[in-house]
Amino acid sequence: MTTTNRVKTGIAELDEMLSGGFLERDAVIVAGAEGTGKTTLGLQYVVNGATRYGENGIYVTFEELPDQIYRDAKSFGWDLRSLEDQDKLRVVCTSPKLVLASHEGVHLLDSFIQEVHARRIVIDSLSHVAMFLSTEAFRQEAYRLIMYLKTKRLSSLLLAESSQSAGFTGPIAEGGAGFLADAIVLLKPVEIDSAMRNALAILKQRGSDYDKRLREYTITASHGITIAGQFKGYDSIMSGSARKTITDEILGSWTRSMGESKGASKPRVRLRP
Amino acid sequence: MSSENEILLQRLLSSDIKTELLALFHENPGLVDTTSGVALRIGMTGTEVEGDVRDFVELGLLTKRTLGEGKTEVVQLNRSRDREIQASLAKYFRGLKK
Repeated sequence: MTTTNRVKTGIAELDEMLSGGFLERDAVIVAGAEGTGKTTLGLQYVVNGATRYGENGIYVTFEELPDQIYRDAKSFGWDLRSLEDQDKLRVVCTSPKLVLASHEGVHLLDSFIQEVHARRIVIDSLSHVAMFLSTEAFRQEAYRLIMYLKTKRLSSLLLAESSQSAGFTGPIAEGGAGFLADAIVLLKPVEIDSAMRNALAILKQRGSDYDKRLREYTITASHGITIAGQFKGYDSIMSGSARKTITDEILGSWTRSMGESKGASKPRVRLRP
Repeated sequence: MSSENEILLQRLLSSDIKTELLALFHENPGLVDTTSGVALRIGMTGTEVEGDVRDFVELGLLTKRTLGEGKTEVVQLNRSRDREIQASLAKYFRGLKK
């Protein structure tokens, strides 16, 4: 029997949902709208890899100058500069065109991978790569990028913008990246009882069991992303407008209310708060 | 030794653009970009910065690499050379204090 090594995110509940973690060398898409915590999840993945599992990493950003990433990470208590000084991490800031370019077999990321003996990588984001290319060219380049990362024995998180209202859609999905990815994690803001909350779902994980239930998560300065329980008592959460589930408890409450209303003018239906 | 460091210091800080470039690469040590891309990040044009970038490449502070079929030239901070320069200058400054 062969055993496959798991790449733990270090977020205990997420690793549990993934049956122990992502599979080694898998390319994982983390899709979500702006502000859902994709960057936080990516940073947590490389920081935990370097500090807890002996798996050094690279964080590639097209979006921000790294000094902003260093500052944001510090707010979670993650000292990226110290990890860089220890040769456990590299934060690379460049443009998508340059990351895709290679010359005589030499790739921009090669030297960084060698410097820290990287095992993990985060690409922030695939959406920036898509912006430079037609859908067809994106499909080809995304495939080339994923295969390059696999060849280098890297377990990768590829962050992708996804619209708030929809699930995993847009140029990344149309370009077939979802098909190329080994796993997809969706981060989604949802409105429940007039408040915004965050939902996480694993849409796919090739070659492994995974928890298909939707889970709530929070982002705190002390822990980064923490996954809480399920959204009990609600359904249609992914539609963006959750409804209370008609449970036996609620039905019982209705029945009692209706019985009482026969004798007096009371509200016919009372929903539990 | 000290005159070498004085020359080095003068060369590092001989223009405002060089000061901006040093700050940029120290705050973002993982920056890899074309000369034009680097210039853009400090609000300038490639033509304005190319002389100073070339000088930093000659000093070994920046490394130049060629990428892609279009043979795009990119520059990045040479971390080990940077550490070397900083250590040498720190020693020089300590000597001045005495």
